[in-house]
Amino acid sequence: MAYNVLIVDDSATMRTLIRKILSISGFDVGEYFEGANGLEALKVLEQHWVDIILSDLHMPEMDGEAFIKVLRDHNLWRNIPVVLVTTESRQEVLDPFVQQGIQGYIRKPFKPEAIRDKLISILGGELHVGELEGCDF
Amino acid sequence: MLENLKAATFEVLETMFFLFPETLEGVAGLFHGPGVRAWVPIQGPKGLRVGLTVPLKMAQEMGANFLGISTDQLSQEKMEDVLKEAANMVAGAFLGREKASADFHLMPPQITILNLDEEKWEENGNHVLFAVDDYGMEVFLEKNGNS
Repeated sequence: MAYNVLIVDDSATMRTLIRKILSISGFDVGEYFEGANGLEALKVLEQHWVDIILSDLHMPEMDGEAFIKVLRDHNLWRNIPVVLVTTESRQEVLDPFVQQGIQGYIRKPFKPEAIRDKLISILGGELHVGELEGCDF
Repeated sequence: MLENLKAATFEVLETMFFLFPETLEGVAGLFHGPGVRAWVPIQGPKGLRVGLTVPLKMAQEMGANFLGISTDQLSQEKMEDVLKEAANMVAGAFLGREKASADFHLMPPQITILNLDEEKWEENGNHVLFAVDDYGMEVFLEKNGNS
């Protein structure tokens, strides 16, 4: 089963990197969608169904905190798994998001396999293209 | 504090850029020509900024390594975006290692192009110098009057 992934990050290069990691990781991605902040991500969600959201926390216009709040208050979007991919590493800052029901977080800097492993642990699925180990990033 | 800044920088460079910084004598002589400085203002009980400065060629190498492309394929915009992201990750990792309270907030990264030959390069209580692949790299932690 292929999963649609929404990547939300104000850094275009970080979005590119995550997309690249996923595409060579063997994780079965259907379509990729991107947003540079929460507002852009909400516009994507109005048009497309996504199975998982990888979101940064610190973003202009609408940050990750406000974005997650909108998701959790929405009838359709409240159950979409959200994983924070963030430079934030302080437990004190991250814990409230876990309590709000996010499915986890990946701290930047991260090893490429951290993203694949997190998605598999949340959505299940098998690698079908090749193993990440040994891939040249 | 500087030990945590060093450790945060090493972690980011090794994990995301496949670069391995070294502390060498004479590293101040490795800063020449055009350079790039990226930093993150930190707002909170103290106004701080955490950032890094590298020669342009090092910045291009970092951008290419990060995106898995050649330096020929790297635009100026992408290079600057990668450097800002690097500063962001160093600042975040630094705050985590410092166990800073949640009252400290990372602000959007900023960047400037500068002539490295016009600056003075020395280590002190706020600046650390490394060698990375024959280029100099400065990381700094300063008070930010604008925060």
